[in-house]
Amino acid sequence: MTVLSLFSLPFVALILSLWSSSAFASSDYHEHLLLHPLPQSSLLASFNFRSNTSQQSFDQQHFRYLPRALGQILQHAHTKELHLRFTTGIWDAESWGSRPWNGSKEGGTGVELWAWIDAPDDEAAFAKWVTLTQSLSGLFCASLNFVDSTRTTRPVVSFEPAGDHSAADQLHLLHGTLPGEVVCTENLTPFLKLLPCKGKAGISSLFDGHKLFDAAWQSMSVDIQPVCSANGECVVQIEQTVDMVLDIDRSKRSRYLANPIPRPVPNEQLVCDTSKPYNSDDTCYPLEKTNDKAWSLTEIFGRSLNGVCPLTELDGSSDQSVCLRVPHERGVFISEEAEEIKKDDGFTRCFKLAPSVPFDLSIPQQPVNTEVPLDEPVLHAERTIVGHGQERGGMRIIFGNPSNTSAVDFIYFESLPWFLRPYIHTLHATITGHDGVPREVPASEIVKETYYRPAIDRERGTQLELALFVPAASTVTLTYDFEKAILRYTEYPPDANRGFNVAPAVIRILDTAHDAPIYIRSTSLLLQLPTPDFSMPYNVIILTSTVIALAFGTIFNILVRRIVTLDEAAALGAQTLKGRLLGKFVAIRDRLRGKDTKVE
Amino acid sequence: MPAAIRNLRNNPHFLFARLPNLLSFICVVVGVVWLLLLPLNEYSRQTYISENALLPGQVHAYFTGSEQNIFRGYKRELEGLLNDGQARGGQKDEAEVTAAVSDKLQSILQAAGLKVATQKYEYTSAGITHQGENTYAIIHAPRGDATEAIVLVAPWITADDKLNLNGVTLALTLARYFKRWSLWSKDIIFLITPDSKSGTQAWIDAYHDMHPASVQPLPLKSGALQGALVIEYPLDHRFQSLHIVYDGVNGQLPNLDLFNTAVAIAGGQMGIGANLQEMWGHDDSYEHRLQTMFRGMTKQGLGYATGAHSSFMPYHIDAITLQTKGEGWEDEMALGRTIESLCRSLNNLLEHLHQSFFFYLLMQSNRFVSIGTYLPSAMLIAGNFTIMAIALWMRTGYYPESKPSAKPMNEKGSAEEKAKTDGIAERHLALPLSLVVGLHLLGLVPLWVFNNIFHQYFTTTTYIFVVVDIILPLFLAAILSNGLGLSNPIIPQQYHLIKSFSLLLLGLSLSTLATLNFSLSFMIGLLCAPLSFVARLQGSAPFRLATSSLGLVLLNLVSPPTVLLGVCWYMGISVETVLTQAAFGWDIWGMWTQVVVWCVWWPAWLIGCVLLWSSMF
Repeated sequence: MTVLSLFSLPFVALILSLWSSSAFASSDYHEHLLLHPLPQSSLLASFNFRSNTSQQSFDQQHFRYLPRALGQILQHAHTKELHLRFTTGIWDAESWGSRPWNGSKEGGTGVELWAWIDAPDDEAAFAKWVTLTQSLSGLFCASLNFVDSTRTTRPVVSFEPAGDHSAADQLHLLHGTLPGEVVCTENLTPFLKLLPCKGKAGISSLFDGHKLFDAAWQSMSVDIQPVCSANGECVVQIEQTVDMVLDIDRSKRSRYLANPIPRPVPNEQLVCDTSKPYNSDDTCYPLEKTNDKAWSLTEIFGRSLNGVCPLTELDGSSDQSVCLRVPHERGVFISEEAEEIKKDDGFTRCFKLAPSVPFDLSIPQQPVNTEVPLDEPVLHAERTIVGHGQERGGMRIIFGNPSNTSAVDFIYFESLPWFLRPYIHTLHATITGHDGVPREVPASEIVKETYYRPAIDRERGTQLELALFVPAASTVTLTYDFEKAILRYTEYPPDANRGFNVAPAVIRILDTAHDAPIYIRSTSLLLQLPTPDFSMPYNVIILTSTVIALAFGTIFNILVRRIVTLDEAAALGAQTLKGRLLGKFVAIRDRLRGKDTKVE
Repeated sequence: MPAAIRNLRNNPHFLFARLPNLLSFICVVVGVVWLLLLPLNEYSRQTYISENALLPGQVHAYFTGSEQNIFRGYKRELEGLLNDGQARGGQKDEAEVTAAVSDKLQSILQAAGLKVATQKYEYTSAGITHQGENTYAIIHAPRGDATEAIVLVAPWITADDKLNLNGVTLALTLARYFKRWSLWSKDIIFLITPDSKSGTQAWIDAYHDMHPASVQPLPLKSGALQGALVIEYPLDHRFQSLHIVYDGVNGQLPNLDLFNTAVAIAGGQMGIGANLQEMWGHDDSYEHRLQTMFRGMTKQGLGYATGAHSSFMPYHIDAITLQTKGEGWEDEMALGRTIESLCRSLNNLLEHLHQSFFFYLLMQSNRFVSIGTYLPSAMLIAGNFTIMAIALWMRTGYYPESKPSAKPMNEKGSAEEKAKTDGIAERHLALPLSLVVGLHLLGLVPLWVFNNIFHQYFTTTTYIFVVVDIILPLFLAAILSNGLGLSNPIIPQQYHLIKSFSLLLLGLSLSTLATLNFSLSFMIGLLCAPLSFVARLQGSAPFRLATSSLGLVLLNLVSPPTVLLGVCWYMGISVETVLTQAAFGWDIWGMWTQVVVWCVWWPAWLIGCVLLWSSMF
């Protein structure tokens, strides 16, 4: 992949053009939706919402588009720049090409959070970080409060601040992930509430939790950063995106609530290959439908688009809030009030929506010769756990460089839980070149720099950052061995036999010719740890405890308790050793206080 | 009671020589009786689903209707390709047909929207090369992130060497059908292997990156495997019942929950009967339960792979094979629905299967005994050797040997008299120890030979070993008795020590083995049981000669090679087949049965023979 084709990435280009036009207005709001049908009957819907608040009004807590709830958390936690990601599923790079936003708006599976915090030293920064995670946890209904010291890392080279920060700030980058967090509708609702139109109008009215979380891949992001123009005028910018890949068939099907189950179709609806000699009423070699499936917004999202958000700045290009990437030859039906604008690249068309009129868009089935070109990803990465047994294992990471001409430089960042203990000395590299013959090379030949921070049991995880490169048209395989720690009895979660999630690795591709770095994340992994058989101890402990508590409690009660009248009790109390000691104590206390001793 | 103990102390011959024999014998008898009691209702239990998440048969299976048309279409397509090859005939075309079929499989799976990859492998064992190409495809869980997966395997050739055309076609149809569902929480991998023996092994090894160089790595992977199902439908007609095969390599078993789920779904939801261990007319009687259990124990004890599912077990992946049997009115769609329902159950799993038993003996599809109940049986048999070994050790230390024979030798007589008075005798350990250790190391020779020579020599080698088993103990006994002028002749105490050490090792190995592979430990224990009771005989020469010859004949009947020949003759299988399979198991499946035979059983047996031979000198 060349630098030129990178520039031609549609998403980036579109967003850059939008951004340059109006990024520096003191307070504004933009929203944008890009629909892009992908191979294998998928549809990428990429939503983007962006608003600004001037630094001055932000400092004075004068919020307009920037949500107050979030703004106050940032101020309280001295957070200058914040990135929050909720992601589920995997992006199928083989079929769908390179990632939307070059991967910069997505996180690893689960929840990922990183922030630059202004603090005098590391401890203070961590204290602020804890404040931040606790507050965000409440705001987004996510288990972010579980991002403790074992899940927090301080990456050195993997992330760089995207905003313009003043030199006076002492910024600390903290990064935390929750790979096991299940992202669902309870995270979407607070996300929508941050938007000025709150899902009632504009493109955000398309959001339906059922559809969003039925997607093959979806990623929600919140980015807040200060942006300064050349003349020193600064704004605080919040950008929220939702990217999802919907399966067209599946989304269309569940619209008919009576029949959301993919039952076998009736015989007469089967699409068969009639050229086969055996084709008959009861024998059918199926013909799979091609990419150009018919769909419409209402079918896919289950609701229509409710006009435009009235808060949107209506100037120039930004009023074309919905864009679609299909070849121009393909027919598209839109609602009457809307206006279609075809772009010069031959594949993009945008729609100017009428305010407060529902908008729908539908594409009929149509044989098409041209296809929208997909960008090939710059790098393929795959990370798996190998080996078996409960004591040791191995990690294997495969990087493939599809380019025939240029090598790829990148940073590989991995944060491992403390109970996975890597042996860095076993780090080996294998290169498979054009000939397909694997060659073992010393890891130092591939890895240019290593940032390694070893784990401390129960305090922090391992942090490993490697700067490495993959030569052109080659595949590099990195392997290392690790040992699995045995946890304490109480440290196992209730579903201990499921395994433990290992956070995805983050790959940042360095491209000097290009401003925005490209990010790739591997899938998260499931690590099986040696797990005791909980059922037996649990049963024994619970049963015996109950029996003993019942039996002992009752018997002890009967043995020890004596039922006496109140008068007798006082008399008895005076006679016992305890009673007499208490009496003495009271007497001494009263004497000290200067009272007369009460003599009976 | 104290009187009885005092009596015992006053009668050292009973205490050291008689009592251990009695105890050992009782242990063996109780061990065998224990096993025979297991099928009774009082000792076995009704199976139950332990993992609540499985919810077997709680979902409706929709795999019907027009899916059958597609099944027929796929089947005709594959049939056409296979017949094409047959029509042209000849060995040369076989590779071509395989390639064409593989391409067709890939194109069908790709068209259904799955990610497809292939893997070539090649194994060599006993001079035979096994090679092939696995084709597999992955349905990514619609919302998942590839952390967990289920495997559906359809081998082209079933475990019974039949063409599994319906099974492969069913896998393809199910792949297309499953792709439409959005409820999968785990990836589903469809694996089509050329055979049931080596294909899955190559694939699963490569999946965990534990493969040898002759096996290609996998280009496409998913997450941790949670379970595997093998589909075998080699029949041309409708079937009657499902046969569930569950034995793994080295006697490892899948979690009982998986088996129970399959039985519950097949029997409860689909109304298809479920059989196990080839017991077709199981009437739930004691005899049938016992027979089922014995069949299971034989498979477990021999430790070979009983189907494509067996290779999964060493990686702690629970797997079973579903085979269709008999002529009835269940069609491929019923099998498909069973598999659909099973997949739905596995899909429900939140954790790896761990709730239920991993160690059990099944005696009916709904009756089992768990390890706590059956283990004492093998432990008692292993314990008999340990009891004998300890008794012999004590006897050599405290109880002077052979009072009558000591009399004539006057110079030794005084020493023995002395030993008798203080009750302590010195033990001569060097010779017994080195002999026992040496013979156990010698076991590596047959182990190496039987796993490395070419398959055509297996029969000859077995007969050679029968002869070696007669000559070697005779030779050793002669050396020991006469010393060949190199060392002093052996004294009776050392014979006891040799036996003691040998039995100690045997008891130790078998009791450890009982926790890993109960059946193997039990079988070897029974075959070795006579060794507890053979010893160097004393008495008049004709008596010794007669008894020891008879003993030797009997003992040679239970030697490892003779047992092998006998079993092969009884079952009507050739020795070569069995040994080729064993070598294959050692090379590819990682089977350990041979190690137990040649390094545990054989040395102990040799020592028993040496002791008997030595009676003749």
